[in-house]
Amino acid sequence: MKPRKFLKYGALALSAAVALGAGAARAQTPPKKFKVYLSMSYSGNGYQTETSNLIKALAATPPYDKLVDLKTVISGTDVQAQAAAYQSMVSAGADAIITFPISSTGLNRAIHEACEKHVLVYTYSATVTEPCARTVSYITAGFAPNTAQWLVNKLNGKGKVFIDRGVAGNSVDKMNYDGAMSVFGKYPGIKVVAEYYGMWNSQTTQQETAKALAAHPDVDAIFGENGEDGIVSAMLASGMKKLVPVTGENTNGFRLALANPALRKRGLDGISSGDPINVAGYAFKLMMEELLGKRKVTVHNIEYPLPWVPADKVKVCTGDTFVNGCNAFPSGKVPDSFNTEVFDPVLTPELSLNSALHGTPTPGATIQPLPAGIVKEAPNVPGVNCQHCKAPADLFKLTKVVATVKP
Amino acid sequence: MTQAPLTGNGRPADTRGGAGARGWLGRLDRDVRTALALFAISFGLVIASRVLGPNFGSLAQMKAILVISCFLMVVAFGQQMVILLGGLDLSVASMMTLGGVLAFKWVGGSDGAVLWGVPAILAVTAALGALSGAGVSLLKIPPFIMTLAMGVILYGATLGFTQGTPSGQPSAPLSALFANTAFGTPILYLMVLAVVAGCFVQTRTSFGRKVYALGTNPTAAYVAALPVHRLTIATYAISGASAGLAGILMLGYVRGVTLTLGQSYLLPSVAAVVVGGTSIIGGRGIYAGAAAGAVLLTTLSTIVDSLGIAEGWRTIIYGAVIFAALVLLRDDLAQLLGRRRRTQETSQNNP
Amino acid sequence: MQTSPASSGRDAALRPEPLVRRLLGDGTTIIIAILVVLTVVFAATQSDALSASVLTDILNNSLPLALAAAGGTLVVVTRGFDLSVAGVVSLSNVLVAVHGGSGPLGALEGALIAAGAGAAVGAVNGYFVAYWNLQSIALTLATMIVCSGMTLLILDAPGGDVSDFMTYTMTDRIGGVVPVALAIAVAVYVVWRLLRRTDWGVGLYAAGADETAALLAGVPVRRVKLIAYVLAGVCYGLAGFMLTALTSTGTPNVGEPYLLLAFAAIALGGTSFAGGRGGVAGSMLGALTLTLLQKVLFSTGVSSFYTGIFQGVVMIAAVVVAVLFARIGTRGEAHA
Repeated sequence: MKPRKFLKYGALALSAAVALGAGAARAQTPPKKFKVYLSMSYSGNGYQTETSNLIKALAATPPYDKLVDLKTVISGTDVQAQAAAYQSMVSAGADAIITFPISSTGLNRAIHEACEKHVLVYTYSATVTEPCARTVSYITAGFAPNTAQWLVNKLNGKGKVFIDRGVAGNSVDKMNYDGAMSVFGKYPGIKVVAEYYGMWNSQTTQQETAKALAAHPDVDAIFGENGEDGIVSAMLASGMKKLVPVTGENTNGFRLALANPALRKRGLDGISSGDPINVAGYAFKLMMEELLGKRKVTVHNIEYPLPWVPADKVKVCTGDTFVNGCNAFPSGKVPDSFNTEVFDPVLTPELSLNSALHGTPTPGATIQPLPAGIVKEAPNVPGVNCQHCKAPADLFKLTKVVATVKP
Repeated sequence: MTQAPLTGNGRPADTRGGAGARGWLGRLDRDVRTALALFAISFGLVIASRVLGPNFGSLAQMKAILVISCFLMVVAFGQQMVILLGGLDLSVASMMTLGGVLAFKWVGGSDGAVLWGVPAILAVTAALGALSGAGVSLLKIPPFIMTLAMGVILYGATLGFTQGTPSGQPSAPLSALFANTAFGTPILYLMVLAVVAGCFVQTRTSFGRKVYALGTNPTAAYVAALPVHRLTIATYAISGASAGLAGILMLGYVRGVTLTLGQSYLLPSVAAVVVGGTSIIGGRGIYAGAAAGAVLLTTLSTIVDSLGIAEGWRTIIYGAVIFAALVLLRDDLAQLLGRRRRTQETSQNNP
Repeated sequence: MQTSPASSGRDAALRPEPLVRRLLGDGTTIIIAILVVLTVVFAATQSDALSASVLTDILNNSLPLALAAAGGTLVVVTRGFDLSVAGVVSLSNVLVAVHGGSGPLGALEGALIAAGAGAAVGAVNGYFVAYWNLQSIALTLATMIVCSGMTLLILDAPGGDVSDFMTYTMTDRIGGVVPVALAIAVAVYVVWRLLRRTDWGVGLYAAGADETAALLAGVPVRRVKLIAYVLAGVCYGLAGFMLTALTSTGTPNVGEPYLLLAFAAIALGGTSFAGGRGGVAGSMLGALTLTLLQKVLFSTGVSSFYTGIFQGVVMIAAVVVAVLFARIGTRGEAHA
């Protein structure tokens, strides 16, 4: 008993002694480059890899390669671990943190502490409710209500629908579901016969869709989220002769399927929309402009425009950049689950395919300033990007389609 | 550890409800009875689900369920071998992911690559599994920790060498296994063969019998001069290879792999083995039971997911059914029904 | 069970064990050594490493895991595995976020709700494992799944309203000096030491080491196990409660990483999975080590992709060393 206690107190005493010594030797050299940290939560999923690659590519593009020292930290799914990572970054003298937060509310304290120490905090794609952070996301741009309405229009207001969701308990999943149901709920002729969780990855989506198809082979349309190339694979594998319209996000496999005339003839149609990878590039550029004093950003929640590619607008690129209105890559160049909305000729002309695949800068490119009036404020969504606030009544308004069918 | 008596073929004597009970069903081995019961329950669930809709309980649905459950069945084989030994393998998720990632890279793209790629990947995952086995047996690291750490290390290594994006191509021969042909889906026939082969390896080969012996009574096995270290290492190697094989098969089902491939197979593999009648402390259970457990779990999640209720309720029902299966399928249920109070000795069986 | 071969009878029990042997055989020593090494590396690589705010942050961040690991230890000592830690942490987290009140009384109310929920789940687990002989790993897996379903019913996306008292005061320092988290951890440890001396505490270790012997010695093994699971549930509930204070929110799947992290902390702390050895202190220090390890990996600049590998290697190394030293510690002594 005693020796153990002695050891415990001894450890504490030793630490205290080291503290006195180390505290005296604290360095105070001013940073030559801006210290920017990229904080990710989980990884190993194409979305996470591509978004982080875009940021790495931009940070390596002149002149940022001389101005920015970018370090990446991956914290895993533990909220506490990401909070601890933010604290470590602040301790290490970060000037700015760009992050994909694992929780919309659980990291607020750590972000608040960072803001108090004058660290600029930007989130991309996922949002936080902490007021001092700047969130850049597509989530308020109406992905769910618009694609749901498009399906309703296609079905003339009557039919059986699957809803493929993301991860249960996640705020983005809830918002997408509420948005879709805000439309489907208005039409008594639309019946949601199956609702399953594709976990935003192609494999699980394929398995869950296969199970749903076996139970309801007479489905008329499928509302999908990320991993929707798995929906198409499941339909093809099930031996369905007649394919149904599918809306989803922007995996390459999905876009290629939409552009495939043989599949179109069998009834495949749809919209490729969803969470654009490029939101990370945009967020990074915006953050850098604010950091370098080139732009005064006054709003805290920023909306990224919603991609909207109908089946007949899918065009396969011949090269590595989006030119001539092309918006998909040839099969084999990228995996089917690759998210294709990886750059935008207006927002991020410095990026090309390799930026998303490998995080490398495009040879010869330099950072172009963002257009002047580009920042669009996102509406308030309690629990998603603000606390103690109310959502506007028209949160789920239609911006890309008009309802052609009366409820 | 249990001190159950060993019968001639190395498996513990089935001292309850065996011969002399009702007819041929009663004379069947307890493990086979459990497996049959689980298959029957799955079948029953599917039939009963007809109330949910006209296309439920159809042959197409049963086929879809069986095809999807094959991954879990394959992983459950390795997990069961390790559990028979009294251990546990928590690295199966990472092994499965590694198998899929390597298959994507090595086997995809060319038809001939299957011939050398698949054995190579199995060799790699078996070797990694053997490392876990060595840690457990030679260094006496508890299996929970050894395999947990191995899983974490493997995932980190896979994440590192793919830099987050696995690259490769789909494989036509593997995809052909899952294609709908005129004679059915090839993978289903393979699974039936696999279940039979697995049971054979476990009960009729000397290796299998030694594994049972070691799991049932390690002290006796040691005294009987069984090669304990080799058996342990080989068993964990088998588990690694099974998980790797499941990953390879996954490439046939989908057309691309991601690093989250194996994630949702870890706990279900343990659940399938335990629900299938294998004792967690080792020495009892056959593969048919674990395979049946895998089918039951997949069937259950399919049926439950198609109930039009909130996800929270669906999860509760899924958990409650597993709970019920554990309560109903436990070893001494027959004794409990037969006699009022168990003696205190049986509480020693508890891990 | 530790008799020196040279003595006999009563004298053996009275002779104190050699210090070195006890130190080596006690897993807590190892974890303290690891902690010291990590602290030194941390202080060397991060300038404000030992400042009050950083230390408070580290203690805050590791407290939920420490509480979860403490609970899990009780079950591991009985040779069981309690997987329901993930479910109970999430459940209590959302319960407190949704139903907790304001101010100190509200926090107490929240703590009671959390502990109560944990105790209820623990009672179910304990009853079926101890009295119905179900395998703990499978049973607690089922209860974990049911708990996570209940959590989704209460809160289907992150939210809830947490009082300022919990968010700020409970994560701060008492009198500006002692972090509340440290006070809570010490309080839990003190309660444990008291419980350890009770009949239950003695029976716990006896049942874990050799159940038959314990039964024959008159230990009410089933009741001991039941109480162990209930107390474990209370610890998980408190872990979820602290998590609510720290994250100031309820998150439905917040407990998921705890499943494997809790057992990693227990193993690092030197508790033997074969039952009968180990303690709460080691597990809590193990949790602190895992948290500190993350920070050290960050401050030493290890590339993010490879942190997983480091964590796995540290886990194995710690356990190997602990097992090795335990064997050295008990070498040369006769076993019963």
